[in-house]
Amino acid sequence: MKPEEKIPGASYKVYALVWIILIILTGMTFSFAGMELGGWTVLIALAIAGTKSGLVLNYFMHLRSERQLIFRVIIPLVMAVFLVFILLTFADLAFRGGMR
Amino acid sequence: MIATRATESVHPKTSFYHEPGRYRGILSWILTVDHKRIGLLYFIFVIAFFFSGVVLGFFMRLEMIAPGGAIMKPQTYNSLFTLHGIIMIFLVVIPAIPTVFGNFFLPIQIGARDVAFPRINLLSWWLYISGAVIVALSIFTGEGPPDTGWTFYAPYSLRTTVNVPLAVFGVFILGMSSILTGINLVTTTHRLRAPGMTWKRLPLFLWAIYATSWVQILATPVIGITMVLIFLERFFGVGVFDPTKGGDPILYQHMFWIYSHPATYIMILPAMGIVSDVVPVFARKKIFGYMAIALSGMAIAAVGSLVWGHHMFVSGQSDFANLLFSLLTFLVAVPSAIKVFNWVATLHKGSIVLEPPLLFCLGFIFLFSVGGLTGLIQGALAPNVHLHDTYWIPGHFHYIIFGGMGFGLFAAFHYWFPKMFGRMYHRKTAKIAWVIMFVGFNVFYFSMLLLGWEGMPRRYYDYLPQFRTLHLTATFGSWILIAGLIIMFANLFRGLFKGEKAEDNPWNAATLEWQIASPPPTENFQNIPVIQSGPYDFKEFAKNG
Amino acid sequence: MDEAKAFILEETRDDTGAKLGMWLFILSELLLFGGMFILYSAYRYKNPVDFHHASRELEVLLGTFNTLILLTSSLSMAASVSALQRGERKLSMVLLMATMALGLLFLVNKGFEWGMKIEHGIYPSSPILLARAKGEILFFGLYYVMTGLHGLHVLVGVCVLCGMLMLIAKDRINQMRFVPLENAGLYWHLVDIIWIFLYPLFYLIT
Repeated sequence: MKPEEKIPGASYKVYALVWIILIILTGMTFSFAGMELGGWTVLIALAIAGTKSGLVLNYFMHLRSERQLIFRVIIPLVMAVFLVFILLTFADLAFRGGMR
Repeated sequence: MIATRATESVHPKTSFYHEPGRYRGILSWILTVDHKRIGLLYFIFVIAFFFSGVVLGFFMRLEMIAPGGAIMKPQTYNSLFTLHGIIMIFLVVIPAIPTVFGNFFLPIQIGARDVAFPRINLLSWWLYISGAVIVALSIFTGEGPPDTGWTFYAPYSLRTTVNVPLAVFGVFILGMSSILTGINLVTTTHRLRAPGMTWKRLPLFLWAIYATSWVQILATPVIGITMVLIFLERFFGVGVFDPTKGGDPILYQHMFWIYSHPATYIMILPAMGIVSDVVPVFARKKIFGYMAIALSGMAIAAVGSLVWGHHMFVSGQSDFANLLFSLLTFLVAVPSAIKVFNWVATLHKGSIVLEPPLLFCLGFIFLFSVGGLTGLIQGALAPNVHLHDTYWIPGHFHYIIFGGMGFGLFAAFHYWFPKMFGRMYHRKTAKIAWVIMFVGFNVFYFSMLLLGWEGMPRRYYDYLPQFRTLHLTATFGSWILIAGLIIMFANLFRGLFKGEKAEDNPWNAATLEWQIASPPPTENFQNIPVIQSGPYDFKEFAKNG
Repeated sequence: MDEAKAFILEETRDDTGAKLGMWLFILSELLLFGGMFILYSAYRYKNPVDFHHASRELEVLLGTFNTLILLTSSLSMAASVSALQRGERKLSMVLLMATMALGLLFLVNKGFEWGMKIEHGIYPSSPILLARAKGEILFFGLYYVMTGLHGLHVLVGVCVLCGMLMLIAKDRINQMRFVPLENAGLYWHLVDIIWIFLYPLFYLIT
């Protein structure tokens, strides 16, 4: 059995491919920043950053190959916690002038 | 009584006290990796810090016995209540139950030999001690201890010339200790359960510790970074909370309370876990609604992380946020109420054995309920405008933290004392101490609720003559309470040296720690047990006993 | 009696547990930086124009180059772990050293960036900065704190990797026992992920 089959997600080929995609995505972020997209730019930038992080988490950090429930839960958990913190904070910040 | 079912007949001489490990003498303690020794190391210092917190409180109440200055200057009073808060919250109430009883009993209750990361456990203790030393340094060096309140609100904390940087650095270190403990206990619960110890057979104490540990991991980093920012602000003037540089002090409050509200659940959940474990034993009855209690703890941890803005209703926060946070605050009362209901339902038609552990649990149920109900009153927006920053607030939180967590902690002391030390304290004295404490507590803190209702501001050194009687009453109550505390601790201390030798299972409980020797051997179990019954299966237990 | 003792003292190794512990630590680090991201969002929301102006003063090319450096270091890190798992010890060590070198290069670049800013009088509480708009003061405050905290994590990471390198050299970490290296890798990837977000938020504000 080839080593990369014994250890799921551990093949050099996969890593190299992921790396290429990461570089391309970085390039995309860079070009989008140059375009006049107003409020969309930050959303696109965050979406691309999220995708890059997802690739690092799943392939470099092998989350994709973890079988146990706890490993599949922790990243969504921390995202949910962060989201809640930032959304409730903005419930204050974005409405200081009163509700519209 | 029913014969104990100690399946491990280990010679008492081989308790963990007698097996020092790699080192000798004091090093065998401060360099230990045995979770039981680490638990006791925390025990000693938690109690020491509790005493210092009580002493600070004693002098605060002495000063407040009459209007005007009595025994100290206003600056001293400000420092006293700041230190009282820092010590009690960060050095006592947040760590106490997880680090003392979580460390000591989690591995045993799941049938393991130790926690997942014994050396990290030791590191946690060293960080705890280091944090305490740094906080102590802030008292005795430079321009003296912080006077900001334990909440370190900006911009005052950025301007006041006293030792804020040292104190916040100490808090940061203590936060690291807390996070590592949380990581250790979660991993231990996931990985080291003995065969047959399913999640549904875990003692409810462990469900509570589990929920608590998640909050420690996820919430503590936020205060970590906030303390770092205060520190950086003081030295580099970064500007993040400084209005003169565009910073928003309300954002400081958000960052602070995003941790510090969940921290109150770090404080209370483990104590609730103790009540859940102790009540069935002394009602001789299975807990009512096991899954409801287990899951309500997780719900408290989750919903409790959404309510922090209720500390900020009058801070200048938006109306919309106020509404949201008030609504969420009312929601979080529900899982707590479920627990109270289930404990009472467990007691109902049980065969009550009124021993000290149960007495303290009953105290918890009553005092926590008072605290919780007052919480609802201040969680409503309109009353909060009048009650915020009055004595109502410390009245409320002392009912919850001291009446709740404190009595839960004392219940744990009295419940697990024979297991940890192999001796029994004098039970009648413990009950007398309880009565005195209960009376003193209510005289003291109910007076505070009344003072707040009447409009007495908190953190004030002086006050109008109309508040005189209630302040006098509160101070008297504090003396009665302290008398009760002294009797309680003296009784336990005496029991340590002169108490009768305890059996392995004096309470006839069914959880695993009672099936091994008192005190336990180093490796906890000769053979890792195979679990076949639940933690409150007294009938099963009697059958096989 | 001695047999019993020997039994009790057997080495209990739990690789999954070790990994879980590391992941939980990573969660706490994510929320540590998360707190700062909340502050960043708040202040950017309040000062959009100032943030845009301030961002233009950062060296975008240097920032982009640093991003590529860290991404590549993640590649070499992951490959280093794989190499060790296959028993390719020397390759693993070479890849590990490459990772460390890239990390150090990142820090050197960061040093240059900061140096240039400080030379121009842009640093917390500098008179030049304080004379600017509030939003710009906040931008640079957040810039220094967040990239500084991140840089500190990179530095710690390089030291940890150095430690791993020595343990591999001493055969304390090897094909049969590689979880410490895997965990060090997890930490390194975390540091990369944080930068993945820092980069567009500081350098690419339009």
